[in-house]
Amino acid sequence: MMGGPWLFDIALGVLLVVLAIASIHARNLYAGVVMFISFGLVAALTWTYLGAPDLALAEAAISAGLTGVLLFAALARIGNTGSTPFTPRRLPALLCLAVAGLLMVTLWPLARNPSVLPGMAMANLPRTGVDNPVTGVLLNFRAWDTLLELAVLLVALLGSRGLRPTPEEEPVPWPLLTAWSRLLVPLLTLFGGYLLWRGGNWPGGAFQAGAMLAAGAVLLRLNGLLPEVAWRNPVVRGLTIAGLALFATIAALTAWLGDGWLNYPPGTDNALMMLIEIIATLSIATVLTLLVAGNKTELEP
Amino acid sequence: MNFALVSLSIPLFTGLLLLMIPRYGGPWVVLSSTLSLAAAVASLVEVVDSGNQAVLLGGWPELLAIRLHLEPINALLLAFTALIQLLVSLYWSRNCRNDGFWALASLLHATLAALWLSGDLFNWYVTLELLSLVSVSMVALAGKDSIKPALNYLFLSLLASLCYLLGVAIIYGRYGVLDFQILSRMTVGDTSTAMAMLLMTLGLMVKGALWPLHLWLPPAHSRAPTAVSALLSALVVKGPLFILTLLWTRMAPMELTDKGGEFLAVMGVFALLVGGWCSFRTPLLKEMVAYSTVAQLGYVMLALGLMLQWQLRETLVALWLFVLAHGLAKTSMFLAAGEMQRIFGNKRVTALRGASQTAPVAMFAFAVAGGSLIGLPPSGGFLAKWLLLEPLFYDLQRWPLAFAVLLSTLVSAAYVFRIVTLAFDRAERGQAPSRDRVSEWLALLPALLVWGMALVSEPLILWLTRVAQ
Repeated sequence: MMGGPWLFDIALGVLLVVLAIASIHARNLYAGVVMFISFGLVAALTWTYLGAPDLALAEAAISAGLTGVLLFAALARIGNTGSTPFTPRRLPALLCLAVAGLLMVTLWPLARNPSVLPGMAMANLPRTGVDNPVTGVLLNFRAWDTLLELAVLLVALLGSRGLRPTPEEEPVPWPLLTAWSRLLVPLLTLFGGYLLWRGGNWPGGAFQAGAMLAAGAVLLRLNGLLPEVAWRNPVVRGLTIAGLALFATIAALTAWLGDGWLNYPPGTDNALMMLIEIIATLSIATVLTLLVAGNKTELEP
Repeated sequence: MNFALVSLSIPLFTGLLLLMIPRYGGPWVVLSSTLSLAAAVASLVEVVDSGNQAVLLGGWPELLAIRLHLEPINALLLAFTALIQLLVSLYWSRNCRNDGFWALASLLHATLAALWLSGDLFNWYVTLELLSLVSVSMVALAGKDSIKPALNYLFLSLLASLCYLLGVAIIYGRYGVLDFQILSRMTVGDTSTAMAMLLMTLGLMVKGALWPLHLWLPPAHSRAPTAVSALLSALVVKGPLFILTLLWTRMAPMELTDKGGEFLAVMGVFALLVGGWCSFRTPLLKEMVAYSTVAQLGYVMLALGLMLQWQLRETLVALWLFVLAHGLAKTSMFLAAGEMQRIFGNKRVTALRGASQTAPVAMFAFAVAGGSLIGLPPSGGFLAKWLLLEPLFYDLQRWPLAFAVLLSTLVSAAYVFRIVTLAFDRAERGQAPSRDRVSEWLALLPALLVWGMALVSEPLILWLTRVAQ
């Protein structure tokens, strides 16, 4: 019974575990970061294979892409020192195995427990105003979660500013990269816009599109082609909070004038959700750009 | 329900406004928490008059929508949050040196309101995540010294989030539902449910700093700016505790409550004794107050454990009273400690020698708040402790627990009186330190309120007995 799909399953599973271990125990930190990024990409591949392309896009853009950039930025500050060399330790390994075994025992019987929710979501999807079930869940069925998630992203930015990272030296732009980025950024913007527009009907949406735009902005910033992105600039601040502010305003208005908190008036669902997505994309892109390439010198008290 | 949502929205919009225009933060937050308090009280009156309310967000059918629910306890916590926020911001608008505080404090307020109102396992996860991130950012406001405790707090609470999320995932895999109210009618005592409860409990115990998973709390709470310490101890640890209480009293299947109750009660006793002892031994003033939080949370765990093990409804009333009394007393204690730390310019307990003469009002606030923590009558702390002790005396089998509670009272008396005796020493002759009388009185205000709880004790207890389920 070892057919093709099974082989692919096993290969992906083993690869994920190996890359996870390798990223922790790589000989130096640089190799560890590279392994971590590969882990993110293989995870994205796994999500695609499991039929969750939305997750795959988010995983590739945020977990592999932006987290990778953040890790490299950290590496630039502390230098490529060696990480903890791999020494087999029995007790932690046994503990991990025991926990993993316990989880397997718990999770195994759940494999055949169907939930009624996916069916309900699909049945109610036409009333949400979009065709993509993921967008329907994120912006309509569970819009309140998404609103709070936007707040999470905003507070993550505030918190990381509060930790006052030391400013890094501006790297000298590399001519080839500068030339390439002039070509890449329009494509990234276009692709981001495409993901956003597609999000209503097919996989895609604000988070993925925001990550694309942020990647473009970071690329330009690293090449010195973009003026500095600073928190003290009111436009930047405005863009950062715009998504959450708009979402919360819509929630408050629907509660005050309409039928209830986040209960979009009939007929306006699609327009409202699209508006939220567009503004949220800009906010997400700004927050991610500030996190990765924001001006650090203004943090010094 | 609309009043409750107003009480949530006001701080949310204030927070966003203050991020945009970070000026006059103090007055804005005082105004917004006053309005939010008024709305919360209105929602409390409404819910007492017309019974429990629930709303399915977006008008979607049950299961699909996130349910927000409003019961007397939620409304009470909503009002309590706004009140503490108001008291702290009144004090801090005189002393604040970092404008970043105000926006974060408003967002914290909104997050807690969202947590109290939510009735959905996954939505709780999002609010918990937001709560931790806001708290970590606020701890980091104190500057260089606080960065390491803040990061430790962040990493531990991320781990705890993952634990909780895994538990939620198992519950969803097992029952296919996230709505708390529906789940509470569905759960059965099988392996997956037990595992999920265990994971969620562990995650919430880390977040709520319940012994023995409290290690992040003392450094984080003692290094944070004074107002932040007060908010964290009075409100933030109560969020995970609230979810834990709801999970165990309403959702846990019968087969598990016995074991779970025993575990929580034993951990509670350890928290009381070990936390109290640490508080007695530490040389730093604010760390002493922070360890006392660890100890006091033991009462809450004990009350919850007793409720589960012996189905004693009085202890649930005691639990909510502890939450209220500890919140008010701890606010006062941290503000007084911060005030004295500022007056004497020293973080150590020994700096308080003679404080009763050099900073009498702040020291008075500290002692009065301490009295409620010990459980001296007539204070809120006494009411709660009495309600907890009463059912313990009836049954010989429960006497060891009663003994533990009495012993812990002795320990808390020890750590409070250690400070008080030091303060009544003769002050060294020297320059009189500069005092700010208004902010000393503002630090005293919450402590007076907790003693005021005793004035309305009978209606309060009767009402809580009726509404606590």
